[in-house]
Amino acid sequence: MNAMPPKDNTLSRRSFLGWLVKGSLAGSVLLGLGMVGRFISFQSEQSPPSQYDLGLATHYPIGSRIPFTPAQAFIIHNNEGYRAISLVCPHLGCIVNVTGDGFTCPCHGSSYLPDGSLRKGPAARALSPLRVEANEEDHLILYTD
Amino acid sequence: MHRHFFLASFLLFIACGLVLWQQNLGPKPIAITPTITGQVEYCLTCHNDLAEISKSHPVETFGCVLCHGGQPLALNADLAHSTMRGGANPSDLSVVETSCGGEMCHSGTPQVQRDHIQRVTTSLQATYAGAIAQVRYAFGAQPDLIARMGIFAIDGLAAFDPSKESSAGIQKFAINCLTCHLTAQPMPAAENDRWTGCSACHSPAPRQDSTLVHQLTTSIPYTQCDACHNRGNYSLADMQYHSRQDTPTDRVHDYYQPIAAFTRCEWTLDCVDCHTRQEAMGDGHVYSSKKDIQYVRCKTCHGTTQSLPLTYIITDENDLALREAFLNPVIDIEVGDTILMTDKGEPLWNIHVIPAEDGGTPTYEIFGKASSERLTFKPVMGSTCQQKPDQQEAKYCHECHATQR
Repeated sequence: MNAMPPKDNTLSRRSFLGWLVKGSLAGSVLLGLGMVGRFISFQSEQSPPSQYDLGLATHYPIGSRIPFTPAQAFIIHNNEGYRAISLVCPHLGCIVNVTGDGFTCPCHGSSYLPDGSLRKGPAARALSPLRVEANEEDHLILYTD
Repeated sequence: MHRHFFLASFLLFIACGLVLWQQNLGPKPIAITPTITGQVEYCLTCHNDLAEISKSHPVETFGCVLCHGGQPLALNADLAHSTMRGGANPSDLSVVETSCGGEMCHSGTPQVQRDHIQRVTTSLQATYAGAIAQVRYAFGAQPDLIARMGIFAIDGLAAFDPSKESSAGIQKFAINCLTCHLTAQPMPAAENDRWTGCSACHSPAPRQDSTLVHQLTTSIPYTQCDACHNRGNYSLADMQYHSRQDTPTDRVHDYYQPIAAFTRCEWTLDCVDCHTRQEAMGDGHVYSSKKDIQYVRCKTCHGTTQSLPLTYIITDENDLALREAFLNPVIDIEVGDTILMTDKGEPLWNIHVIPAEDGGTPTYEIFGKASSERLTFKPVMGSTCQQKPDQQEAKYCHECHATQR
């Protein structure tokens, strides 16, 4: 009987290169998928919402004057109802400060009366009015568009 | 064939890895959406540590690109900076209209006093028209001292072109002496360092270690003016600029050039405390000499033996005086206050009148625009001064009031 030749367990050069090719291709696919995933999942800057829920209308009693910072707005409730005005200065777009006697722009000094009308420039017009309405649940909804 | 396939797959793997690695190397983007433009900018990704340039130009409102230009969405520095205006200085006069102009900004109408750019580009500090006229006259290239040419052409001035001048003296002047106007790069010495354009006066020069100061201000110390003024003399004899050899530190004794005489207010106040925006930045007209536009004199603040200085009462909330005081709040003035004004009606908003309780001559208080220091002074009228009202040039006042140096 002829003896069987011993089994060669060592990896041949051809096999090694074959595995290396497969590994490289698999790695490339994974890295490529990672890049594609990263590209697809990129979150561009969100546009600000055009309406905001200000909460229950009862939180804004008659006579109240309450800033709403997320929308850069100011909510006024007087005998005529609810009003909202934008805190963005119509001159160049700075956010006006609320002062004891109205509003003042910290950038260029425009000044507004408590109802938002223009007291002095350089702005040429009053603070912009915004729409505010109560919904069925008696929540105030502010519209900024 | 197999060998090539192996190499290609291995290189593809390496390339993918390098791309992903490089993507992760970059900083996490910091976005801002300025209210003026409403367009996203990523400049703060690298520049988040910059100080606010001024309270009138908050980054939340203006962003960076509106003034500086550049690519707002780029995260690569070279790409982001590739289209910037004026390099680090968007106020250079070659780009200032795009950077700082606009009806609501600095190229509005003269009626609302927002014509800063139009005035500056006609000013002697920008055109250098006076010096050019003087030299061309001295070398026989023009028959009088009337300005005809400026560093750049504007309405009323042609562009000064040394190649068209036949006089060697004028050509030498062009080579050696055009270093102080607002579009010229400063001479290479720390004491001359400044920006060009608006920032020559309104922004501090780069620090000694070359780092930049991100600031726009109307609080301008005399040292800022001295980057150009009081640093030496131009000589008509050899057409060279002769820089001072000393490094003056003591303002009263050695700061100013020795031939000149100065009163106390001239070496204790800052230049902008007395000299007005029209004197420094022009009034929109072309002048042939500094003397034609620099009109504030001792009597502007002190009056004469026969008359008190001119004053006016602020009656309008939109008065220029209130606007200027808002930008540099060293003094608290409001409608109803009385302040000084110049012969041309410019408000000296930092000088307030304090009436005498007995109805006699008032006292005046001046607040340093750069120092915030409060000083008081009395008018000439009612004093022992005997100066003739028609002799009001500084040389007459210096005869009695010059500081001994």
